[in-house]
Amino acid sequence: MAVRSILRFLLMRLGQTILTLWGLASLVFLMIKLLPGDEAQMAVGAEASPEQIEAARQRLGLDAPVIIQYLLFLSRLVKGDLGVSISTFQPVLNDLVAVFPSTLELVSFAMLVNLAVAVPSAIVAANKRGGAFDGSSRFMAVIFGGLPVFWLALMLQYLLGTVWRLLPISGHNAYGMGAPILTGAATLDALLALDWVALADALRHIALPAVALAALFSTQIFRAFRASLLGVLTSDFMMAVRAKGATARRVLLRHAVPNSVTATLALAGTQFGAMVGSSVLIESVFARKGVGAYMFNAVAQKDSFAVLGSVIFIGAVVCIANLIVDLLQLVVDPRVRAAQLGN
Amino acid sequence: MAATSRPKATRALALSPLEGFVLALLLLLLAMVAAGPILAPDTVYTSDIVNALQPPSAEHWLGTDDQGRDVFWRVVVGARATLLSALLVVTLYSMIGVAVATIAAAGPRWLDETLMRITDLGMALPSMIVALGLAAALGASLQSAIIAMSLTGWPITARILRAVIRQTSEAQFVSGAQVLGVSKWRLMTRHVLPNSLDVLIVKWASDVSTTVLVLAGLSFIGVGAQPPSAEWGAMIAAGRSYVATAWWTVVAPGVAVAVTSIAFGLLGDIIQVRNDPSLREA
Amino acid sequence: MSMARLDLRSPVDTSGPTPAAGRPLLTARGLTVDMQLPGKKSVRIVDGLDFDIRAGERVALVGESGSGKSVTARALMRLDRKARLSGELTFDGVDLQRLSEREMNRYRGGTIGMVFQDPMSFLDPLMTIGDQVAETLRIRGVGRHQARRRALATLDELGVDRAAERLDSYPHEFSGGMRQRVVLAMAIVAEPKLLIADEPTTALDVRVQEQVLDVLDDVSRRRGLAVLFITHDLGVVAGFTDRVIVMYSGRIVEDAAVDDIFAAPQHPYTQGLIQAVPRIDRVSERLFAIPGAPPPIFARPEGCAFHPRCGQKFAPCALRQPALEPSGAGRVACHLYSSSER
Repeated sequence: MAVRSILRFLLMRLGQTILTLWGLASLVFLMIKLLPGDEAQMAVGAEASPEQIEAARQRLGLDAPVIIQYLLFLSRLVKGDLGVSISTFQPVLNDLVAVFPSTLELVSFAMLVNLAVAVPSAIVAANKRGGAFDGSSRFMAVIFGGLPVFWLALMLQYLLGTVWRLLPISGHNAYGMGAPILTGAATLDALLALDWVALADALRHIALPAVALAALFSTQIFRAFRASLLGVLTSDFMMAVRAKGATARRVLLRHAVPNSVTATLALAGTQFGAMVGSSVLIESVFARKGVGAYMFNAVAQKDSFAVLGSVIFIGAVVCIANLIVDLLQLVVDPRVRAAQLGN
Repeated sequence: MAATSRPKATRALALSPLEGFVLALLLLLLAMVAAGPILAPDTVYTSDIVNALQPPSAEHWLGTDDQGRDVFWRVVVGARATLLSALLVVTLYSMIGVAVATIAAAGPRWLDETLMRITDLGMALPSMIVALGLAAALGASLQSAIIAMSLTGWPITARILRAVIRQTSEAQFVSGAQVLGVSKWRLMTRHVLPNSLDVLIVKWASDVSTTVLVLAGLSFIGVGAQPPSAEWGAMIAAGRSYVATAWWTVVAPGVAVAVTSIAFGLLGDIIQVRNDPSLREA
Repeated sequence: MSMARLDLRSPVDTSGPTPAAGRPLLTARGLTVDMQLPGKKSVRIVDGLDFDIRAGERVALVGESGSGKSVTARALMRLDRKARLSGELTFDGVDLQRLSEREMNRYRGGTIGMVFQDPMSFLDPLMTIGDQVAETLRIRGVGRHQARRRALATLDELGVDRAAERLDSYPHEFSGGMRQRVVLAMAIVAEPKLLIADEPTTALDVRVQEQVLDVLDDVSRRRGLAVLFITHDLGVVAGFTDRVIVMYSGRIVEDAAVDDIFAAPQHPYTQGLIQAVPRIDRVSERLFAIPGAPPPIFARPEGCAFHPRCGQKFAPCALRQPALEPSGAGRVACHLYSSSER
């Protein structure tokens, strides 16, 4: 595979991503302009003195024509200046970077649980189509696919946490058990500090949140993967493979599964963004730190720049995640390679 | 295959037990939306602290909430807030999506490209985040949640529909019609769109299913419907602190949301199988 | 109907080593295939076939769509899970129907190979062609390197240029003819004794058909491979096979050497098929077609299945199903030739 064509593809996708991010930024700028109230006032909060407000007005260039403001805004963004939060008095970007690892940790574990449950179940279900497992897992998929994430979270919290006392119901770790904060993700910090007790504790704390977040998405993957597997299993080329003398197991694992991964990969990619979106709910129920919780708090405090900064940040994260998924598709499917990279 | 004696039309209407069940459920939900506030006693909106957090009884079938209000009737009334909003949102953005997709497919290339970039943008933002942002701008209310959801919902519909339109346009019967001199507009409205309807309807149903969940979620965290609205998500939020002692305040609205979501999800599945019987599972 | 190989100005050339009319390899007696339809009704697709295939022999199984020829082919390898076989099916003395699924698996690919119609839908798009050809051997426990070497050798034998370089390419990078060779390689790499080819050239255009048939011809002669060639294309049959079995509505109506079938077809259906082939060497005003259409499988006519469309029918045709009896050098199932009717 020519390195040139790979680079060309990367550049093109990167270009598209930047274009989308620019669109996002412009949208946010529009929202800022449409917000009722004095922008400078919003930048410094309700308690600010007139001098502070004036200083903000200068800094943001609010007296200049809109187009200049827009360019100033974009230039600030490129430098990473998302404004300052009126509740933490820190630059918004710093705040977000501090809490993002926690959300990333949550989403990662949720994705792990999601795939670990959905993929094997789909394989077993497709293998014995119409069997007991197939029927019952499809039934469960229907039920869990309709449960609200936050409600499931509450129920799990109540049953496993409060009633049966199996798992902790909130926070990242038990008081005093945490490893020194390096990344902000409790499990990673514990791992880096080689503190196994803290790691176990952090894992126990992330168990319920991850499961609650994963449930809905797991049903989607289960359905899609199973359908894809069945599609391959009933297709013509399965007959050719069997005509070679392959056992049903080989047919399933060596041919059906790889051929079903591509489509499901795309689905998993879109779920990442949805999971980040739903992190607000989970972080709220389980009292965890994260971008969702941060943004929610900002809304409550009427911290407009923190809110909008979060929107840009999260949008950027999701864009990058989509880019990564596209690259993965390239690795997994030779047809996509051929189509995207050309000959 | 042996032919049955019933005419084809009635065979199409025959319902399997599952289909009948789902349909009955949907009718019940719609009844709640339509007649709920009319049938409910006025006490649904008034506080009666003395009777707060009573367990289910003959008088209050699902008990009372933290304000002493009857949970059963609040759930019935709340259908309007949750379900009707979801129906509104999805129908709205589906129409926007269809419009955008039609314009993109039928119009000039540059328009198609621009619109696709915009849909990319729309798909990059999780709906919940946008709703939060809008809540900050317009204030937290059910209306701002509805607006937010409508704004983030249309891109995916537009994308899917554009793909379907393109596929249908490339089909033989369309080029056949073109050769006969049928105008582009007529082609679009009379031939291409009706064929896309199948996909659209299925998507509509499953979208309602997920939108109900998201709307409830937004109200739960406080950026959607506000108290004392009987919206289900808001009810769950209100009952949250009492889950240990008065589980019915949380379970009842939660089950309502779940049932609604599942019913519409199944509706989508049923329509899909009816459209394409090859998808039928034994 | 294709014109690939048909030349009726002279008898088909059989110069070149005549395949040994060896011992019977595959024997079918009263072979019947029933299929379970979704409406829970069982339909008899193949109704009592009697035929033999000898070692090294090339037999064509000819018939229109719906005649049951593809079902028969798949039944020989027990590939259709929904199909229920009855009657006798023996390969080299072994009763195939008594074998367990695992034992049958050993036959598939190893003793009997199969090639299908549309190569693209029969290749795994995510696996390199080298791996796919080698897979037939790997299933049998052959080591990676050896399997790869043999795969390469087979592809070479089948005329794939620069096979060594292309072992790591993917199916979508190949043309139709090349893919068919890959599928062929997959089927013969484990050196089977019988190759069943289910309409392997139908999806290809004429030039490519010629190439694939040449390759098949070459390889089967060299290896002494018996071939059961399923097709509806008589042109292909003429140049390639030794014997022709004609099927109609799930039954054999004629079974004769290829020269005899073309020079003097006996069964009215066969006569109709031959007549229907457009010919370069004769000026004809209109194309001939057998009047009527083949009966649906669940509504087979009483007596001889072909009689409603037959121009030579007489009294017994609507009453009794004609038995497949020897007639001349071959066999015919027609009351016109039946010893009891004379």
